[in-house]
Amino acid sequence: MASNNQQPSIVIEQIGRGPYAPSLTPFAIKLETYMRMAKLQYTNSHRRKRSKKGKVPFIEFDGQEVNDSSLIIEFLNEKLNIDLNSHLTPSERGIARAFQKMAEENLYWCLVLHRWIYDNRDWIMKLVGVPKIMAWIPVRLVKKQAEGQGIGRHSYEEMVRIEEGDLRAMSEFLDTKPFFFGDKPCETDCALFGQLSQLRWQLPNTKGEYFVNEKYTNLRDYCDRMKTTFWPDWDDCITHGGKVKKPKS
Amino acid sequence: MDGKATIIVHQFGRGPFCPSFTPFGVKLETYLRMANIKYTNVNDCKVSKKGKMPWIEFNGQEVNDSSFIIEFLNEKYKQDFNSHLSSSDKAVARAFQKMAEENLYWCMVLHRCVYDKQDWVCKALGVNRFLAWLFSRHIKSRAEQQGIGRHSFEEMVHIEEGDLKAMSEFLDTKKFFFGDKPCETDCALFGQLSQFRWQLPGTKGEYFVNEKYTNLREYCDRMMEMFWPDWDKCCSGDNEEKKEKC
Repeated sequence: MASNNQQPSIVIEQIGRGPYAPSLTPFAIKLETYMRMAKLQYTNSHRRKRSKKGKVPFIEFDGQEVNDSSLIIEFLNEKLNIDLNSHLTPSERGIARAFQKMAEENLYWCLVLHRWIYDNRDWIMKLVGVPKIMAWIPVRLVKKQAEGQGIGRHSYEEMVRIEEGDLRAMSEFLDTKPFFFGDKPCETDCALFGQLSQLRWQLPNTKGEYFVNEKYTNLRDYCDRMKTTFWPDWDDCITHGGKVKKPKS
Repeated sequence: MDGKATIIVHQFGRGPFCPSFTPFGVKLETYLRMANIKYTNVNDCKVSKKGKMPWIEFNGQEVNDSSFIIEFLNEKYKQDFNSHLSSSDKAVARAFQKMAEENLYWCMVLHRCVYDKQDWVCKALGVNRFLAWLFSRHIKSRAEQQGIGRHSFEEMVHIEEGDLKAMSEFLDTKKFFFGDKPCETDCALFGQLSQFRWQLPGTKGEYFVNEKYTNLREYCDRMMEMFWPDWDKCCSGDNEEKKEKC
């Protein structure tokens, strides 16, 4: 426990456990992995509540709402005097931020498009319980968001090219290191693992899954390493394709 | 590449203090100059089939998206301005480019179109206030779709500073982002930073580049001197004659 004071109450509001990874959103895996890396005590709540900004996950810290996974981590770092990137040089911190932003602001959209538009539409709708007749609603929303961001204006082939470019960059930078910045995992590993975990386990039969699991296999091995290190209870935290109705919260 | 190709770059028109209002226009032209490729600018405000600008016609063929255009031309001309970088450095280069173009870019756009009431932009583009208001609403909606638009102004500035600090710390005392020789990625990073350096007057973004993380200011000046000896001629300034109306 990083703080010497009385332990604060930290509740993470989430959207429920995922079928093959602890969440369908990479930002929840990022946040929980951070909590585990920082050895913070927390509780999960799966009421599917949205924050005031309309985002999930968010936390309640002693009753105070804090939202956006990156801002939450900065908040907790400051409140509880934590810095999991402290062993990085200033230049490495710069690089760490760049990779995190690439993964969260670029690669993330490829994941979203694979899942909701191109490849896994039927699978995800069934998983989250959206009847076929209403499937057009989330699809329209995602299309609008992706077009607003920019990536939605590309063709499928162009999107896959962008996706591969990001994953190749991550693979080449990781190289043979156990974690992105050496032998010791850092805060940025939480964010990168969050994104990669979706491609590793929850984008079945997509090019994204192929890139991580078959082409740039050091990324697959990295995911397994992060899972082993921070999620020894991984199998308890997933629904195993919906078969387990009440996994560990 | 045998024979001379005709390359036409479709753009908005010259900016008052930078050769373009869009960082992607500065990126693309800087690349063309780095590659010594002859091109013509056409300031017709015509958007590509994807609704984006700039785009090019290469011997009459439309190619769009500044990054795809550069990949296309690299292949056509068999060149690679990142070739001297190690695999790891190429990866880092991509990460910084994506951070600048997919994250920092939105802060620039929000300063200009939503938060800092950049009336001078309307004047420079010859756009009336009503159109400017409509455009501002459009940008706000897009920024909300992207995500950054859901943050408060203070949070956006915090995010913006994080990106600029990262660039500044990585650049450090180097002349260019990857050493003594500029590379393809410098075109993209210079494109984004040029807006902060010269075309975001009175904003926190301008303050970060010009006063706080001053190696970024010096970097911009260095790129300008190297690739744009005709910079002043390529900026419309207050010269009414040089302004291109859409």
